[in-house]
Amino acid sequence: MKLGLIGVGGMGRPMAERLLAAGHQLTVWSRRPDAADALLALGARRAASLQELAACCEMVCTNVTGSADVVGLTAPLLEGLAADAIHVDFSTIAPSVARAIAAAYEARARHFVDAPVSGGTAGAQAATLAIMWGGKAALAERLDPIFRCLGKTIVRVGDAGAGQVAKACNQLVMVAAIEACAEAARFAEAAGIDFARVRTATLGGSAGSRVLEFFGGKMAARDFAAGVEARLHHKDFAMLMAEATRQAVPLPVASAVMQQLDALIAAGWGTQDTSRLLAVLERSGGSPVASNSGRSAINEG
Amino acid sequence: MQIGFIGLGLMGRPMALHLAKAGHTLHLWARRAASLEPFCDVEARMHDSPAEVAEHAEIVFTIVADAPDVKALALGEAGLAEGARAGLIVVDMSTINPNAAREIGASLAEKGIEFVDAPVSGGEVGAINAALTIMVGAKPEVFEKVKPLFEKMGKSVTLIGDIGAGQVAKACNQILTGVGVVAVAEAFNFAARNGVDVAKVREALLGGFAYSRILENHGQRMLDRNFKPGFKAWMHQKDLRIVMEEAHRLGLMLPAAAATAQLFNAIVGSGMGEDDSVAALKLLEKLSTPQ
Repeated sequence: MKLGLIGVGGMGRPMAERLLAAGHQLTVWSRRPDAADALLALGARRAASLQELAACCEMVCTNVTGSADVVGLTAPLLEGLAADAIHVDFSTIAPSVARAIAAAYEARARHFVDAPVSGGTAGAQAATLAIMWGGKAALAERLDPIFRCLGKTIVRVGDAGAGQVAKACNQLVMVAAIEACAEAARFAEAAGIDFARVRTATLGGSAGSRVLEFFGGKMAARDFAAGVEARLHHKDFAMLMAEATRQAVPLPVASAVMQQLDALIAAGWGTQDTSRLLAVLERSGGSPVASNSGRSAINEG
Repeated sequence: MQIGFIGLGLMGRPMALHLAKAGHTLHLWARRAASLEPFCDVEARMHDSPAEVAEHAEIVFTIVADAPDVKALALGEAGLAEGARAGLIVVDMSTINPNAAREIGASLAEKGIEFVDAPVSGGEVGAINAALTIMVGAKPEVFEKVKPLFEKMGKSVTLIGDIGAGQVAKACNQILTGVGVVAVAEAFNFAARNGVDVAKVREALLGGFAYSRILENHGQRMLDRNFKPGFKAWMHQKDLRIVMEEAHRLGLMLPAAAATAQLFNAIVGSGMGEDDSVAALKLLEKLSTPQ
């Protein structure tokens, strides 16, 4: 299929590689032209403008940062896309924005599909992403072959915006679990116990989870290099909390986690991994050395 | 003085009437004509657009729901900026995001219009009695020009700092009152579930370090089970949203305000948004008794 791809960052590039490997004709565009050089060597074509890219593709895939970035792409893409063409956005944006864009496309007989993913760069490279999409059911037939090149779990959640609602739920469950993992690590550490062993022991029991395995592993190794940069989770949580307030739905745990993410950003760790939530807790006191010596000094006094 | 006033709701109406009573001529515009009826007996002229209000006024006051409304009034089509004379002062008394206030101020400044953010505390009763607390962000020389008018509407008028500073003070006010109301509700529910006379607890605490106006006033309303607003819970929910948005923008941890904001989500989500914020007590009671 003739595909366009915009955004060749941590997610976009491996996705482009999978699509090329599957034999699709790929035209790419990126804000910094040299970012796409590696893909040209694999057979991709470079478009001079967004309009040009849209005009030569049956389907355009986008991977950008936030709602505003996606909105900024829609005018030039709509200008170029042929009738019945599809714009699949893999970015994580606000459900309400996704719904509004889909309506604007619909009005001009084009299609917009929100298809946020979970699984990170590693999942994109291995083509094992979870893809949760929202849009008209009739599009499934055209989307499925493309989605299958990129991911393993592909679910149409519902109409426009539904994919983004599912992604918000995904972020809530995952980041809350990272915070729980960090608190467990901190708790073990304060008691003078090696968290790596606690992790190994608990992975086999009822608390076993992918987060405990992956992020718990990073915490045990004190490896805070990003995977997914914490500032992106911070951004996703702002969207989640704004949506919850709009719906008047209390999310007490998510709101507490959001505060820890705020403290992480304040510490200047936004471009590091979210497992750094552990360090936010360490900063808030209770280091084993300080508290023990403090207590014994008082006892002796 | 020729004064424009837009936003003639529960708060705006009595505030504008105070200015008319002080001998000023009002220039009014309202989305709904019915809002203009209370002004038939005072010196007031009705106009067809905010731009037309601005043409006739030296100072225009606005008090509306949220930042997009203020922005539309000031900078939108047929907005204040379109009709403004050089040196017009726009005074926004709504509660909006401090950063939005700064942005609106900057856009108006490009057109030679002064902007003042002056949110209020004190509710409808404070507005009717001209006893509002007014927190102002403005250039000092602009503040001096508006101050005599503020004094017709409020009892405590404070210049906090530059544009946006009034909204920062209001956000602080909403953190303190929001967390405060919830703390009183939690304490009262705790006392009641322990079988202790809540009125006596309140009386005893008023003499100690836990004394606060919220314990005194909101506490009394909880005892009377008087949930009439006052200050509606959904408005407190909105104000806490502004606080949390700003905290997020700055990477700022506000754990108590965050928990309180969720409780206000629950109050509104349980259908008590039109009640006063003291409805926090009803919610806690509901959540601590068997279904």
